[in-house]
Amino acid sequence: MSEISVENVSFFHGKGTPYEIKALDGVTLNIVPNTITGIIGHTGSGKSTLVELFNGILKPAEGRVLLDGADIWAKPKEIRNVRFRVGLVMQYPESQLFEETIRQDIAFGPRNMGLSEQEIEERVIEAAGFVGLGKDMLDKSPFDLSGGQKRRAAIAGIIAMRPDVLILDEPAAGLDPAGREAIFSNIMEYRKNSGSTVVIVSHSMEDMARYCDRVMVMSEGKLIMNGTRDEVFSKPERLAEAGLDIPQITKLMLLLRERGIEVDTGVYTSERAYEELIRLFKKDTAQSR
Amino acid sequence: MKNIALGQYYPAKSPLHRLDPRIKVLLALIYICAAAFCKNIIGFGVLLVSALLIVALGRIPFKTIFRSLTPVLFVMLFAVFFQVFFTKGDMLLFAWWKLQIYGEGLYLALFTIVRIFTLIIGTSMFLTYTTTPIELTYAIEDLLSPLKKLKVPVHDFAMMMTLALRFIPTLVEEADKIMTAQKARGADFSTGSLVQRAKALKPVLIPLIVSAMRHAVELAVAMECRCYHGDGTRMVVRKCRFSDIAALIVMIIFLAGIIYLNILGLVYTA
Repeated sequence: MSEISVENVSFFHGKGTPYEIKALDGVTLNIVPNTITGIIGHTGSGKSTLVELFNGILKPAEGRVLLDGADIWAKPKEIRNVRFRVGLVMQYPESQLFEETIRQDIAFGPRNMGLSEQEIEERVIEAAGFVGLGKDMLDKSPFDLSGGQKRRAAIAGIIAMRPDVLILDEPAAGLDPAGREAIFSNIMEYRKNSGSTVVIVSHSMEDMARYCDRVMVMSEGKLIMNGTRDEVFSKPERLAEAGLDIPQITKLMLLLRERGIEVDTGVYTSERAYEELIRLFKKDTAQSR
Repeated sequence: MKNIALGQYYPAKSPLHRLDPRIKVLLALIYICAAAFCKNIIGFGVLLVSALLIVALGRIPFKTIFRSLTPVLFVMLFAVFFQVFFTKGDMLLFAWWKLQIYGEGLYLALFTIVRIFTLIIGTSMFLTYTTTPIELTYAIEDLLSPLKKLKVPVHDFAMMMTLALRFIPTLVEEADKIMTAQKARGADFSTGSLVQRAKALKPVLIPLIVSAMRHAVELAVAMECRCYHGDGTRMVVRKCRFSDIAALIVMIIFLAGIIYLNILGLVYTA
């Protein structure tokens, strides 16, 4: 299982121009293998820049990016192999579709890996299956799909490379609730079957709470929190400093606790909240009887 | 990549940045005339000093200026070569085999360098470095507006130019994003033969064209929603201030001075 770690990395956008911005400032972190890690932060907090360092799209100005303990920039000519192992789905990935058919488009990554035609075909069908695109869809033009389907076809293009680590930058941005749900359940399904490490970048606390095991919080180019979901969400004050908020349902639970109702405050989804409230209600009626 | 998109514009707060763009176009034109008319050694000295003064006024670092001069270096060297070796005069300084170098040739070469240098400083300081492309378009539209009487669609051309300029950064940014996305899928843009590299651009160009079309359609709809139909009754609220007029007057005096020095014909005249 591949492990990404980042040591004291800094990065500048537009270095040496009047538009220079320090996007990352001495970030050190470690993506725990076999988990779903969420990276959250405000717009401009450096989270997209960070994930572009993970697969060698960007090269750090200072510090090192390690994959299984080896510096990915040790051999710059072999950076492509890092990109095959660390699959990055960019923001709005549907803009990268270009082939005549979805089949060919998904095959673009595997073909660059130099696989045999048979292997490519196998991977295309498998990847398309993960994102819920049936075999009948494969010969359609990617430009004839709906927005959500395009997004899923683009994600399949990365999954088909069978990366050890799958990174998704705002995978559900701009989709309706049903589309969001579909994308995330595809990702969860993929993760369950492949056992790979998944990193999700988002600014939606609700998504983080729902799907991630571990959460990292970025603010102004710095990593300010890093831990399990429970550890991070138990400190709403620190999240507020980064201009973020805990999930609404957790807030509700904290308010209930403040009024002296003995609820579990480690609740991040409405389903869990529902169960918790039913449990309290039953306890309550049992006592009053 | 993004710096290219914004052209040469150098954001800063300076008296030159604040000037009315229409005035700056006129200033650039007059300054070019001054550099072209100048024939006199004192005149060239004045030109050189004025060029440095303008750079200082625009608060642009000299490093940036010199970087923009490097492409013209070749032209300068070429001109100098011909001036030095092919000018005949009275002051023979050096002779060897068929090569003869005259004092006049050296003078001319020096003047050529100063002339090219000031021409570039003049245009780039007044126009590209201190004026955003959009401001420049407004200025050109305004200055050409008398042509409207001759039924020249000045406004439409200006609008087309504005839109084209407006979308350069957008498209560059998009091309950048698409290239990154394809690199993440293992696309290779930097190795292989010329044909291979051209082919490698297909995954970038197709999505880029698709998105350019989408932008065009969306923009057209947005413009129509605001009842735009380019009848030229729109206006830009920007009035010339006292400082703008003053700058124009100073520049006209400068041109007059250069011409006056020519008439005096002091010291050496080329």
